[in-house]
Amino acid sequence: MFVSDEDLMVKCGKGDMSAFELLVRRYQNPLINYIHRSIDDYQRAEDLSQETFLRVFKSANRYEPTASFKSWLYTIATNLCRNEIRNRTRRNTCFLEDLVEEGEDIYHADIMRDTRYLPDVLLEKKEQRQIIRKALAQLPENQRVALTLVTYQDLRYEEVAEILGCSIGAVKALIHRARQKMRKLLIKAGIGKESIDEKI
Amino acid sequence: MKKYKATEFPYTRGSECEAQIVSPDELSAYIDKELPVWKRHLIRHHLKQCVFCSNQVRSLQRTDNFLRHGGEIEVSDGFLSSVMTRVSDAKEYEKKHASLWSRATQFIEASFGWVQHASTLAYKLRYNIRTRSPIYIFVLTFAVFTMVGATLYQPSNDRFGQSVHALKKSYELDGEKLISFEVIQHEPPKRLLTTYLRRK
Repeated sequence: MFVSDEDLMVKCGKGDMSAFELLVRRYQNPLINYIHRSIDDYQRAEDLSQETFLRVFKSANRYEPTASFKSWLYTIATNLCRNEIRNRTRRNTCFLEDLVEEGEDIYHADIMRDTRYLPDVLLEKKEQRQIIRKALAQLPENQRVALTLVTYQDLRYEEVAEILGCSIGAVKALIHRARQKMRKLLIKAGIGKESIDEKI
Repeated sequence: MKKYKATEFPYTRGSECEAQIVSPDELSAYIDKELPVWKRHLIRHHLKQCVFCSNQVRSLQRTDNFLRHGGEIEVSDGFLSSVMTRVSDAKEYEKKHASLWSRATQFIEASFGWVQHASTLAYKLRYNIRTRSPIYIFVLTFAVFTMVGATLYQPSNDRFGQSVHALKKSYELDGEKLISFEVIQHEPPKRLLTTYLRRK
């Protein structure tokens, strides 16, 4: 029998650890992927995912089943990602992607990454993923969050609006702008000319 | 084809669509199936006729498909166990470092937990009696009608301020059935300001 997230959270609030474990199992993959796309650092993504689940557990007794669990979880994760990006800017942390100059071929930079023991197919997929991540990283924060939540986490516009604290109309505009900018960036990166229209 | 006012669709200025009935933001929402049925129908109808908008939708769709094939990252095997360890650690820490107040409230909750159960049971019982017992409903209705009746009822002889006893007495005093009336005429209330002004 399928138990809803909200019911599991109520059980979790009463101290049921198995309910919490089930929730973690359900959301560990999408959450790590979401955070990874937002901050572009796997190790930190794992840390922040753990931190998100820890916060969920700590405030489980205050959770009201009227609110959607998914929105709540992603709100916590989004706030943590924002803090991380802010701190990173303060510390001026330099990642490999940041070393790539504007207009420089991204493919070249990806070769520098750890590709020694990957077969060709996997390498190609990895390159594609890197290019997408690089393009996503260039989007403004709100556009990136909105696009990631809709495209990868399959959230409704209403839920995204709740997470970002804006109207549904604003979410529509954010996603449209993000997609258009992604198109430009992907074409600029030299991929998908066959799959993405040349004319922007 | 029906023509729409420019004010009905606010974001149409930058569009190259001749009909200008669809805003660019709505095209993305159309792809994500986030529009109401009537609007989807309207846009679908429009796309059959407008080359510009159909190209836009196609390219947005392709961008979206390309992004979706970006691939997912697999979570490491130890993630779940490390989350659970962190959570149990946090729980232990909270237990150890709980404040005096929280300990006292926990003790009270534990000691008087049966009171809460009893009150819940009593509430349920009361609710069941109120909603389901016909005797209770009958008694309640009877009581309400009795109270209303007692409030509205007045004996017929007492309507003019005479008691039955006084009437009997007047009959006994003289056989001519003479009833004396005393008319008391109330003076109209004095208006102090107007009388003062008149006098002046």
